[in-house]
Amino acid sequence: MSGTTTHIVDDDPAVRDALKWLLQSRDVESRTWESAQEFLAFASRDLCGCLLLDVRMPGMSGIELFDRLRALQCRLPVIFLTGHGDVPMAVQALKDGAFDFIEKPYDDNALVDKILAAVDQDNKRSIRENSIRLLEQKVAQLTHREQEVMQRILAGKLNKVIADELGIAMRTVEVHRSHIFEKMQVRSAVELSQAISPLGNKPPN
Amino acid sequence: MGLSTPSPSGERTSRWRWLWILPRLAFILFVGGVALLLWTSDRADKEERRATLISDMLWLEQNLRFHLTRNEELLGRIDLAHTTNAAGFESFARTMFGFESGLRQLIWLDADGTVRLAHPITMDPSLVGDAGEAVPSRQSFLLARSLGKPVYGKAYPYFTNDWQFEVHVPVSREGRVVGVAVGVYRIRDLLGDSVPWWLAERYRISIVEDSGKVLGTRSKVESAVTDEGYQVGFDPPGWGLALHAVPYHAPRPVASILLSASLIVLAMVVLWSLWILRRHAVRRQAVEEQLRQEYAFRKAMEDSLDTGMRARNLDGEIIYVNPAFCRMVGWPAAELIGRRPPMPYWADDHLDETRAIHDRVLAGEGPGEGFELKFKRRNGEVIDVLIHEAPLIDAHGKHFGWMGSMVDITERKQASERARQQQDHLQSTARLVAMGEMASSIAHELNQPLAAISSYCTGAANMLRNDSPPAEVVPALDKAVEQAKRAGQVIRRIYSLARHSNDRFELISLGEHIDAALALMETDIRNRGIRINLDIQAQALIEGDPVLLEQALFNLFRNAVESMRDTAPDQRQISVALACADHYARLTIADQGCGIDASVADKLFDPLFTTKAEGMGMGLAICRSVVENHRGRLSFEANPEGGTMFHILLPLAAT
Repeated sequence: MSGTTTHIVDDDPAVRDALKWLLQSRDVESRTWESAQEFLAFASRDLCGCLLLDVRMPGMSGIELFDRLRALQCRLPVIFLTGHGDVPMAVQALKDGAFDFIEKPYDDNALVDKILAAVDQDNKRSIRENSIRLLEQKVAQLTHREQEVMQRILAGKLNKVIADELGIAMRTVEVHRSHIFEKMQVRSAVELSQAISPLGNKPPN
Repeated sequence: MGLSTPSPSGERTSRWRWLWILPRLAFILFVGGVALLLWTSDRADKEERRATLISDMLWLEQNLRFHLTRNEELLGRIDLAHTTNAAGFESFARTMFGFESGLRQLIWLDADGTVRLAHPITMDPSLVGDAGEAVPSRQSFLLARSLGKPVYGKAYPYFTNDWQFEVHVPVSREGRVVGVAVGVYRIRDLLGDSVPWWLAERYRISIVEDSGKVLGTRSKVESAVTDEGYQVGFDPPGWGLALHAVPYHAPRPVASILLSASLIVLAMVVLWSLWILRRHAVRRQAVEEQLRQEYAFRKAMEDSLDTGMRARNLDGEIIYVNPAFCRMVGWPAAELIGRRPPMPYWADDHLDETRAIHDRVLAGEGPGEGFELKFKRRNGEVIDVLIHEAPLIDAHGKHFGWMGSMVDITERKQASERARQQQDHLQSTARLVAMGEMASSIAHELNQPLAAISSYCTGAANMLRNDSPPAEVVPALDKAVEQAKRAGQVIRRIYSLARHSNDRFELISLGEHIDAALALMETDIRNRGIRINLDIQAQALIEGDPVLLEQALFNLFRNAVESMRDTAPDQRQISVALACADHYARLTIADQGCGIDASVADKLFDPLFTTKAEGMGMGLAICRSVVENHRGRLSFEANPEGGTMFHILLPLAAT
């Protein structure tokens, strides 16, 4: 499953090969890239797993690639590897959302542990994102009137009150309510509330 | 503040200008006085001459009258013996003519007026006496006979150019007029007989009629001047004859002329000398004014100078200083002028040096291109000055001292010192940066294979722990070995980079390079007042790289200089000794600095070890590396006199 692949970008073939071997010894799937440009051509916002990135490389540097990926809204967790790291660079990278910043020489197995943690975090993130996307699709199926009614249901209002507010018959409210439950694949208002919670408090539009 | 102080005035000139009137006035008075004197003397002269003339004329008139009166008397005494016969008459006449009486003819008339006797007899028939009457005059005869007194007749011409007049003297016997004796005077002869020669020389004397007609003149020279003449009435006949005298123009007395001339000449001389004097004074005034302006100009110029000027005579005594110099050293001119060395502004720490250069300048051997010196202000502040000395030559071309111009270069020197320190700092920073860059590169180069090795080995260990077959692990280990070799190559490359080859070795004299290394430190050594004791006893020839050796020596000298930062100034010295023994050159560099703490002695030559805040910890490491590269040895020990001694042993060139 491509969702857990660790991508290694390093200009030194020996280092690439050694890292691939190391990850393999821990059953971590990996893929190597010779340069930042090469990886950038491949990258998309759907990528999952982890990116092991050397800072100093000929051509595009690791930091620059990181910035490009963020511009692409690629959420891949990034672990920087550097022999020249300094505090300002590390702080900036972490502020900008890098997963970690590791100075050479490093403890290899600790590095693998960190990679695993990053992959795990990324998996959780992608699962969460998938469910939200699903929920959003469901909400999108509702008609405008249904969304209005759903808002009031989530606010805990009675059908009668809702009918008064919207100026429609209570019977009509009941029909909308059953349609909403059907489309959102829930059976009760409580379930609806739980199902909609990943979207946060923002009202569906 | 100057050699002389001229009066600062143009107003004085104008105040005394009126004095110029005095000599002019005096001159005018003088000339006027002389003219007046000449005029009065001339006038007095004239008046005196006129007085003389008048008295002479009065005397002459008197004399003439006396003549005439005497003749009258004599004529009146004629007696019968004379009147009765011609012979007696003639003798009487001769007697009368004899004593220059002026008479020329005697006539005897009887009581009727008939001519009885005459002498001389010759009568001119054309003679007409008494205004148309016959001669002798009948009218006069009648008058004389009736009056009984002598009567003079009117003058009438005798021949064409002479005049004569008659005197009729009645002669009585026993109360009865018996006849009249007529005497005829010829005017010219009368004058000739009665005017004495000395009078005739002085004046032209004539007898004139009342109409102004000249009847006779006694004169040697004709003169046209009549206005100065004097006329006195002379009236024997009673018909208006007068005596007229005109003084001849006697030459003025030579003395008087000389006096006048000399007075005029003197006046001219006075005028001329006055004019010369005035011209001289005016010129002198102009020159003085010019001089004053020149002086003021120069004074303004030198007062406005920023350059300090100081003049000394040949004995070294200060004879002049300008305001800029006073400002520079902080001493007023009054306290400096007349001072002899040592001067109050000589810097205490440089007295010997200053004295030496002072003596050199006075001996005329001062550096022509100028020299730098340290002076002390009155407040103790030390300043750097650049001095140029030039000989002072007086108006006669005589060399009488030295003029020094001084520029305060303290700031310039400080600025250059700061610039040098900045430069040093930049260089050392640049070296640090370069070294950091190199170290970083080396670290990266080594990190890559080491990281790879680590990863291969960790992976292999992971595999083995998971009971994977060893055959799967072997390729990773092989790769790890490969990476280890790669790391080794990197290190070898660095070594070869760092190690200088022996290609550049040449035969060099160690002593020369000691000098060269010291020269590089010269500014620092001088600024810190460090003495260098050189003891180069041997001509040490060794084989080596001069640049590297100089760098090593430079490092050691710099360490020595910097170690004495806290040493008292008078104890700051570096002793450099070079000797040869047993095929080795032994160089000792001893400072009197802070010394080396025993706790750091062991680490002293370690790279990257330093006791200095800004040091890199490479100096001594490089020194040792260079010395060892030359097959020598570098060691150190504590200096018994305080500080540290570094020893360098270098093999002598095999010759």
